[in-house]
Amino acid sequence: MTRNTQKWYDKPMTKLILVSIALTWIFPIFGFLLSSFRPGEAIKRTSWWDAIYTGTIWSELTLQNYQEVFRAENLDRSFYNSLAVTIPSTIIPITIAAFAAYAFAFMEFRGKNVLFLFVVGSMIIPLQMSLIPLVQLFKDGIEIAGIPIIPALDLNGTFVATWFAHTGFGLPLATFLLRDFMMGLPRSVIESAKIDGATNFTTFFRLVLPLSVAGIAAFATFQFLWVYNDFLVANVFLGIYKPENLVVTSHMSQIVVGRFGEAWHLRTSGAIISILVPLGVFFGLQRFFIRGLIGGAVKG
Amino acid sequence: MKQNTQEKKLFNFGISTLALAIFPLFWFLSQAILFRELTEIVTRNVLVLIAIPLGSTFIFLLFIGMNKLINFAPKDSRDVLEARMFVGPSIFMIGLFLFYPAVRTFYLSFKDRYSNDFVGFENYVWAVTDAEMITTIRNQVIWLIAVVTLTLIVGLIVGWLTDRLNKGESFFKSIVFMPMAISAVGATAIFKFIYEYRPPPLTQIGIINGIRVSKGDNCYNNRIIDGEFYGFDDASCVAPVGWLQQRDLSALPIAETLQDGSWLSNMFVNLPVNTLLLMVIMVWMYTGFAAVVFSAGIKAIPAEIMEAGQIDGASEIRIFRSIVVPYIKSTIVVVGTYMVVTVLKAFDIIYVSTRGDLETNLLAVKMLDEFSKYRNFGRSSTVAVIIFICVLPVIIGTALRERDNLDS
Repeated sequence: MTRNTQKWYDKPMTKLILVSIALTWIFPIFGFLLSSFRPGEAIKRTSWWDAIYTGTIWSELTLQNYQEVFRAENLDRSFYNSLAVTIPSTIIPITIAAFAAYAFAFMEFRGKNVLFLFVVGSMIIPLQMSLIPLVQLFKDGIEIAGIPIIPALDLNGTFVATWFAHTGFGLPLATFLLRDFMMGLPRSVIESAKIDGATNFTTFFRLVLPLSVAGIAAFATFQFLWVYNDFLVANVFLGIYKPENLVVTSHMSQIVVGRFGEAWHLRTSGAIISILVPLGVFFGLQRFFIRGLIGGAVKG
Repeated sequence: MKQNTQEKKLFNFGISTLALAIFPLFWFLSQAILFRELTEIVTRNVLVLIAIPLGSTFIFLLFIGMNKLINFAPKDSRDVLEARMFVGPSIFMIGLFLFYPAVRTFYLSFKDRYSNDFVGFENYVWAVTDAEMITTIRNQVIWLIAVVTLTLIVGLIVGWLTDRLNKGESFFKSIVFMPMAISAVGATAIFKFIYEYRPPPLTQIGIINGIRVSKGDNCYNNRIIDGEFYGFDDASCVAPVGWLQQRDLSALPIAETLQDGSWLSNMFVNLPVNTLLLMVIMVWMYTGFAAVVFSAGIKAIPAEIMEAGQIDGASEIRIFRSIVVPYIKSTIVVVGTYMVVTVLKAFDIIYVSTRGDLETNLLAVKMLDEFSKYRNFGRSSTVAVIIFICVLPVIIGTALRERDNLDS
């Protein structure tokens, strides 16, 4: 209905503006992607638009940058490291949060509201507030009045440190989102399961968890992309000085900051590779990602 | 009887402590020590292979173990205990990894660089008087104002315009939204390629400088035409500019025309060019997010309201201003909040592009610099507290609005 009453110039104008915005957004990636297929020497000799203009581009296209970034640069090792950081950092907080969310949604216990306020309140803490004490905690442990509560673990530079850090930073949001989602499940079903004598443990695993898959997927997509794209936590807890500890983002930061001078053939191909995984996840699970993102608007 | 209830209370207290502290602590320590040892024993490839499945499933052992323990408890208190056990690990992790560190950071901000002696407000005085910190705070304010405003405006335009399309709506939204999936490091690499500067006889491979140097009749960006090489001639042509090195406009030719000494032109000459160019990266990354959320909000506007506006003969822009924007005001506030928090924590873009030099620093980068580069824990904590204080009112505002929404 509304569409028909629009004036004749509305549609073309709309399209024109949108197309120009879309082109502006694509343009940065276009030249970058093209350059990743040109040899390092060619990138420095002629600019990519001149190569298109003069037509030399077709004879230049090659995959050798991608081979080099894997062989000489060991980007594949960083890629496996990224997965070793990201997958547990996604699953651990979801597990812990799902149990807590179940309790907050379906169980009655004293202090429930206070504890939930504690979870929600912790969302306001930016992760910068946690970095120094956590580095110290992982190194020296905690002592209260000379009594060691947590021993000196010397965890910095191991995967475990990043798992714990990401778990801590992701938990408030995960608990909050999953509780929200579980509150929306039909209460009668859960209640009848309890009347039939199912324990909370069985109800959780057999009933609530399968029903919450959509909510879990939303947070999982969000957390996966967040951790995979994270540079700060990897920088602090894994470090950037040992090459075997690099994840994709910290490895890319090394290449981009210019450890190798003007290595644009490595910068372009490396960045394109590092982008592929999140883009795949993004286009595959866009629906879930957007939902998690909107819920995660206040993540700490 | 009385004896009995006291025993029961004691028992419950014991189990509660187990659930809330000892069990999670046990899990935390065992997982930490196990994997630290693994890191030293096995080779890298094996470690990665083991770490993914084992690291992910280890937590289940905690819950299964706790469930077994609950079976020993008396039946009537089982429900309460179970709840404690379900909630325990979450509370433990949040307490140990967010609350305890936050309090400690606050405490450290009043101590010296080695965290030995109390120095009172010395670090805070430094934070507002040190020249570098003042620049950092100035940049943070510019970023907050410009990035948030631009993202909201462009996001609104894209969200509104895509909504009017019959087809291709999701296509346009996906293109603008796509950078959201890219890491800030990758996005910075992409834009560094656009801003790239090379000293003059060399070919300019960044497109902005490329266009600059080929301006003019006989100016070429080192191009081969018909087998003949046309090099860069710096006598008559426009020189390339190192964009990310420009802390103001004074090195650019435009500064000459502006130098009339008036207040306005002085302000203009002082525009931090590199900071503005770096902000573009963030706008590029987050506009799509704003657009997608706004578009969802616009779709929720009842069709009758829009039609009423059209029947009354309101122009499209009038409808946008008087119906669309007021209707999705709360959505705009939510996205604005999100952007404010994100900008306050912006780190990767600066770290990878200029490393905070050339007057481009931001708070989050400064915080890490003080920590790992200068090893000054007191100052680093102070910067973290400043970030926290800036985030606080924004989030409290959100919480209050949420409560109002629930009440009404």
